[in-house]
Amino acid sequence: MSLIHIENLGKHFKVLNRREGLGGAVRDLFSGDYRTVKAVDRISFDIEPGEMVGYIGPNGAGKSTTIKMMTGILKPSDGTIQVNGLAPYENRIRQAQIMGVVFGQRTQLWWDLPVIESFKILKEIYKVDQKTFDDHMGMFNELVGLKALYTQQVRTLSLGQRMLCDITASFLHNPQVVFLDEPTIGLDISIKAKIRSVIQELNRKRKTTIILTTHDLGDVEALCKRIIIIDKGKILYDGNVKQVNALFGAYRTLKLQIDDFTESTLEELHGKFDEHFGTGHGITIAEVEENWTDVTIDQARTHLSDVLSLVMTNFSVYDVRIVEISMETVVRQIYDGALG
Amino acid sequence: MKRYLALTRGNFQVWLAYRFGFFFTIIGNVIYLGVAYYLWSSIYQHANVIHGMTFNETFIYIALGSAIFILLKTYADWIIGNEIREGIIAVYLTKPLDFQLYALFSSLGGILMNLAAISIPTILILTLVFKIQVTMGLGLILFPFSLMLAFLISFCFDYFVGLSAFYTESIWGISITKEIIITVFSGALLPLQFFPDAVQKILLALPFQAIYHTPLMMVTRPNQGWETFGPMLAVQAFWVLALFILTRLFYNQAIKILRISGG
Amino acid sequence: MHSMGEYLRLYFIIEAQYIKARMQYRADFIISSIGMFFSSLATLAIFWVLFDSIPDLAGWTLMEMVFIYAFYMIAISPMQILFDHFWQLRFHVAEGTFLKYYFRPLNMMFYYMSEMFDLKGLTQFFVGIILLIYASVQLNLDWSLLRLGLLLITLFSAALVQISIIVAATCAAFWVINAWPVLGLAWKLREFSPYPMSIFDGAFRFVFTFVIPIGFVAFYPSQLFLRPEEISPLIYFSPIIGIGMFAVTYWIWTKGVNSYTGTGS
Repeated sequence: MSLIHIENLGKHFKVLNRREGLGGAVRDLFSGDYRTVKAVDRISFDIEPGEMVGYIGPNGAGKSTTIKMMTGILKPSDGTIQVNGLAPYENRIRQAQIMGVVFGQRTQLWWDLPVIESFKILKEIYKVDQKTFDDHMGMFNELVGLKALYTQQVRTLSLGQRMLCDITASFLHNPQVVFLDEPTIGLDISIKAKIRSVIQELNRKRKTTIILTTHDLGDVEALCKRIIIIDKGKILYDGNVKQVNALFGAYRTLKLQIDDFTESTLEELHGKFDEHFGTGHGITIAEVEENWTDVTIDQARTHLSDVLSLVMTNFSVYDVRIVEISMETVVRQIYDGALG
Repeated sequence: MKRYLALTRGNFQVWLAYRFGFFFTIIGNVIYLGVAYYLWSSIYQHANVIHGMTFNETFIYIALGSAIFILLKTYADWIIGNEIREGIIAVYLTKPLDFQLYALFSSLGGILMNLAAISIPTILILTLVFKIQVTMGLGLILFPFSLMLAFLISFCFDYFVGLSAFYTESIWGISITKEIIITVFSGALLPLQFFPDAVQKILLALPFQAIYHTPLMMVTRPNQGWETFGPMLAVQAFWVLALFILTRLFYNQAIKILRISGG
Repeated sequence: MHSMGEYLRLYFIIEAQYIKARMQYRADFIISSIGMFFSSLATLAIFWVLFDSIPDLAGWTLMEMVFIYAFYMIAISPMQILFDHFWQLRFHVAEGTFLKYYFRPLNMMFYYMSEMFDLKGLTQFFVGIILLIYASVQLNLDWSLLRLGLLLITLFSAALVQISIIVAATCAAFWVINAWPVLGLAWKLREFSPYPMSIFDGAFRFVFTFVIPIGFVAFYPSQLFLRPEEISPLIYFSPIIGIGMFAVTYWIWTKGVNSYTGTGS
């Protein structure tokens, strides 16, 4: 039996159709005019024990809503969801015993207390026996040098240290599944690497199922074999990470601020690319916000440096940024059938 | 001047968004008025005139006190205290603003809103529901000016408490002590006439009575002349000046700490 | 999942740590306690001055008022000390940080309340006890074991009433964006709890007895000890009023918790 079983799961919300202006605001108070928003629209998948799955999607895709249903916060509108054989919403306290949750943005530990005290309190809350506690604390010390942090108050830890504490704490009671939400956000490369290796070790040693939600594709690449992409409430892709990575790992987005940007600039760009690289260049151009133009390049087909020099020669560019492909662009590409 | 007024307008609009809050505050005021009515009726079962005040006079005093209470509450202590604690204060030091004036005009925005949304409806309820009538007199005309001076004094105290955040973390403790001292010794809860003579003399010499007692007495006994009201206003003005000077001195001391230790 | 006993033990462990951490801020503790001391006595001070001018208030003497006031101070202490965290509820709800309370195998109200323990409230509690003893001595009340038991029960119930009113008011945060005014109003009402209910009639007495029963926080229970001959049948409801109100508040809390979805999607 799979650990997490989701079948035709749906969640919709009633949202008030807000009206404009002061008069509208007053009328809103008495209005019954709602529309239904489908945050999650009939999704299905199964997750087996021990799997490490990346669950990604743009903001507003329905990602958090699914996680909230898995963790028992939200009640599904339709379909089935079972975690370890039980419906999460009706069994919140029981499910909490087999789950671990880590938020990148805020800690689950006790802010004013020394690190070790948080762990001791968790031991009581989760009824962890002394032997398991000692074993785990020993393991955590091996992995991240936790002992050195024992007496420090959580509020005095650096972001990286705090994340490591939060992550290890979530494994203390031997949960069957751990939800990691943005575990490496705001951290520099070396800490990110450390955190990724810790997560990997814990998954390996404890065979804990891990659901990773993140905007950092590097995390997904490093940790997950399987990736589920959700957008607008529907599953776009559920399968091997390697395939997605092969397609998008080599993508880079050139963000440009072009002088004298006019309506025809995008066409001109396109024309130049066709001219220079032939029509199979696969470069997509989009005007995003505030005079920024996104030129997304598949490095397998065209070289970033070539594109850059072409643009700089033919257009007056006064600012450039080079970024890895964004989640939004990946999803857009997949939506446009990039996976065929 | 324009700069400061822009601050007032900005805060006014923020307060405008809190309509729900006003409704509840007015309800709170009405309940307080009701309770005060019953309480003082009970007290006046014993005599018609106590310490020279009739039931009507006392009730007007207490009721009006509740109406203006929200006007004299500036929250400057909390706002400044938090800004200091969170280090935002450094930002203001770089702007071409006098910090005290900045704080003063910022609190004005909320005050104007509270006047319109709370004080005036409360007074309306007083006249319509409780059928309170006040005779016309010099006191009524001078009341708004007295109120403005009272506001400035109240602001100085709040400002002072806010600045104490430079020295200590516990703004709450100091703020609540300030509130208690002001509400009890200013005559806000109990007209000063009810205090024992010796105590009364002391209280009248303190600045607190200039916040509530002075303006409230102008409305309670409006039919007196300049020989009564003149000195009252003068005393208020004196305290405004004295407190402004004292708080500015305190600010200069406190800011030295920030500059030296880096905040 | 956890028994009552386990919850109690857990509570002690968490609070012991919390208090240890807070005690590092000595100055804050002292200043706050002083502030608390003054604020808790302010209303009493006013009454004390008032009684210079009148012999009694609706038939109640000064010492009786002190007793009622002391009862009130003790009764509101549990709310002050144990449920202090609820004042932050509207911030946690608005910022989405409230979500973290769903993830532990703990009752959420317990978890939420355990995160704060207001030490300065102890000042009010002890001053209340001292005043109660003082007033009883002055009034020559005699305390049999039975009466002491009754005192404990009524204090417990009064505490529950006060807790219920405030916590229910904080729950407005689940449904309304600017929930502070509701809480502010509920807090203001508590000021009237030590007033003799006999000064009220009509709508006010009805509201303070049956709708937002602040009368049961101090006045009605105190009558059991001050004027046992005069009590109306109402007084005997004291113990169950507290439990009943808390049940209602808990129901409101549950509704709020179930309807909360956090921020973002």
